[in-house]
Amino acid sequence: MPSLTRFVRTDWFGPLLACIVAIAIIQSVSPTFLSLANIQVLLLALAVNALIAFSQMIIIAIGQMNLSVGAIGGLAAIAFAGAMEVWGLPAPLAALFGLIIGLACGALNGLLVRISGMSAFVITLATLSIYKGVNLGITEAQAFYGVPQAVKAFGSAVIAGPVPWLVAPTALVAVWLWFMLRRQPVGRFILAVGGNEHAAELSGVSIARTVVTAHAISGLLAALAGILLVARLGVGQPSIGDDWLILSFAAPVIGGAVLSGGSVSVAATLLGVVIVAIITQALVLFSIDPYLTQVILGGLILAAVSFNRLRESRFIGRFGRA
Amino acid sequence: MNGEAIFEARDIVKTFPGVKALGGVGLSLMPGSIHALLGENGAGKSTLIKVVTGVHRPTSGELRLDGRSVDFGNPRDAIAAGIGVVHQERNLIPRFSVAENIHFESFGANRFKPIDYRRLNESAAEWLRMLDLDIDPAMSVTELSTARMQLVEIAKALSQKSRVLLLDEPTASLTSGETDTLFEILRRLRDNGTSLVFVSHKLEEVEALCDRVTVLRDGQNACESQSAEGLTRKDYVRLMIGRAESGSGWRKRDTRAAPQVLGLDDVASGLGHSGVGLSVRAGEIVGLYGLVGAGRTELARVILGQEPVTQGTVRIDGEAVRVADVSEAIHRYRLGYVSEDRKGEGLILQHSVLANAGVPIWRKLAGRFGFLSDATVRAAVLPYLTRLEVKTPSLDQTTANLSGGNQQKISVAKWLAAGVRLLIVDEPTVGIDIKTKAYLHDLLRELADGGTAILLISSDMPEIVALADRIVVMDAFRTKGSIENDGDYTTMSEKIMTRIQDRTPSGTSSGIGETARCA
Repeated sequence: MPSLTRFVRTDWFGPLLACIVAIAIIQSVSPTFLSLANIQVLLLALAVNALIAFSQMIIIAIGQMNLSVGAIGGLAAIAFAGAMEVWGLPAPLAALFGLIIGLACGALNGLLVRISGMSAFVITLATLSIYKGVNLGITEAQAFYGVPQAVKAFGSAVIAGPVPWLVAPTALVAVWLWFMLRRQPVGRFILAVGGNEHAAELSGVSIARTVVTAHAISGLLAALAGILLVARLGVGQPSIGDDWLILSFAAPVIGGAVLSGGSVSVAATLLGVVIVAIITQALVLFSIDPYLTQVILGGLILAAVSFNRLRESRFIGRFGRA
Repeated sequence: MNGEAIFEARDIVKTFPGVKALGGVGLSLMPGSIHALLGENGAGKSTLIKVVTGVHRPTSGELRLDGRSVDFGNPRDAIAAGIGVVHQERNLIPRFSVAENIHFESFGANRFKPIDYRRLNESAAEWLRMLDLDIDPAMSVTELSTARMQLVEIAKALSQKSRVLLLDEPTASLTSGETDTLFEILRRLRDNGTSLVFVSHKLEEVEALCDRVTVLRDGQNACESQSAEGLTRKDYVRLMIGRAESGSGWRKRDTRAAPQVLGLDDVASGLGHSGVGLSVRAGEIVGLYGLVGAGRTELARVILGQEPVTQGTVRIDGEAVRVADVSEAIHRYRLGYVSEDRKGEGLILQHSVLANAGVPIWRKLAGRFGFLSDATVRAAVLPYLTRLEVKTPSLDQTTANLSGGNQQKISVAKWLAAGVRLLIVDEPTVGIDIKTKAYLHDLLRELADGGTAILLISSDMPEIVALADRIVVMDAFRTKGSIENDGDYTTMSEKIMTRIQDRTPSGTSSGIGETARCA
């Protein structure tokens, strides 16, 4: 019995249950849902969306938020595509260039938050505008079409069956994040700062270094998402990232992340992404107006937040008091 | 005796802008001893603890460890020097395991080296065993009771090789069984040579546990590092309260004919009060005296309807009432409360003087469509602000920029403007200079002369004796009868102490030991 309760109380149990139920219902109504072609579409969406969610998740872990996730992703995407088209850089080098830009943008966010002492909300709202402005200044809102064939091929090739190559980097990132947040001091510091900054500081954690690290990782992951999206679309569109914000919060929150920090789960966030993808896909299958997706996404966030609050309030009652 | 001290604080002065929190305080700690650090709120205990543990740097004075002068730039320096502290608020990282919390410090060495949880658990288990704690080190701290969290923090401090361990009110949220366990552990640590500092408001605990004692009063030593032998609860109370000048300005006021405004009869509350009885007549000042933790502020919250009355009757103007919430207390029954926590609860510091003084009457002043003009509010509050001589460049000044005394005047003025019939004033002069204090005292008397009933909560005995017509003594969430005040400090303080003393039935009331006067 103890192992069962433990299982039920994990972060990912709720989202997993929701996932299975959703799949079962949709499959029973529309048997084509779990067709190979459809699964491949789902996985392609997952590959990029999971990175977007992780990019926000790592910032939620320290109890902050990053509004510039999409702007960083977009800037890295056009840097990647532009470096190949304009400078003729080989794809790996161009990807590295895009990743470095993302890392730098993220680190800058962290530094500004730390130095100014202002909330990450304000800082990233400002940098969102700056990064997006730089993006539009460079591209003049025109897409880079000169993406090499090899990159486009990577974006649509499959490893085996319905599994696209695009999920490979995402899977590696997920395992790395999981290991870091579970096993490496650097990851534990991130969670500790989010859980109780004061206690973490008294235990010798450098708050500044931890905050900058988390923001840098966030930028890196957003950049990776942007680069993968270029590979999938075959075009370096300046508008990449414009619609990431809601999703970036939705998946971690559905996965039970505590917005005040200290508690995030890689597995549950991944399931959050899956839930969002399934529902989006189902709306397409049932030929429901795609604009309804937004409404449903909003409803899901509200439901998840209320559920988490319920869980949290029980917890605060025992722990939160001095 | 200083020769063998493991840690010493000498002549510590700590000033904050405008306030001298510590004015030359000393503390010397022996190995294998439990040292009580006592004092009422505002006496300087927490400032001293923060200086000793490296949170604050002393303005002047010296800290000595093993006879050598030390200087702590931050809490980490103090920890590294072997000075551990278990703060009143919990400093654990939620959701992390017990073992991880205990050893979190050691992670700093290599940020990328994978954590070996098995080794961590084994090592933590040793420290837990040392404290006789039957806790699975892999368990999340969130699942522990408050008492066990505290013990985990002690284990953490010990694992950092603390030779000096400060415990700030460790028993505040413990049951008596848990307290006993904690005491056993502390005694064992003492026997192993650790030097412990124990801060508590519960004097029986101090009597049971401590062998040495330092008492602070108004940022000074009322008693420094003295042997606790022969000292009784009564001596501690005397040292903490002090023998200040007798109640100045007290005058006899007869209000016996006036009608009762507030009456409590055998009231019990959800906060733990029981058998609380008191009455306040129009124009009367009733002092509610008790040591910190006696349940006075909590009683104010019950009267204001913030916490439920579970038993007994509350009468307002002779009629039994049930105050549903604070809004009803203010608007229907016209009760006002000047909070002890001026900055946290009494005022909205970022707002203007005008906005603060007007809050309780906004509802009354608002026009038919809910409009509220500054001019209306200004007209309503200005007479009171003028009367209290609030010194502010303009009514639009941000309240945070005013002195403590002026802030306090505003919190009183807003209730005057609201026309309250009963004003509950909670520790009105804590952190306020002597001149403003005398002024506030005059003000409260004037208010009472004007017919306002006043319930004065204070831990400052001279203040109570100077102001009150009657004094109700409270201890452990019960009232212990009321005493007619005759304005004479010596006899009144004796009477009050006897009431508080009541709990311990020992017959040591005769001859308060001269030993107590060691300052």
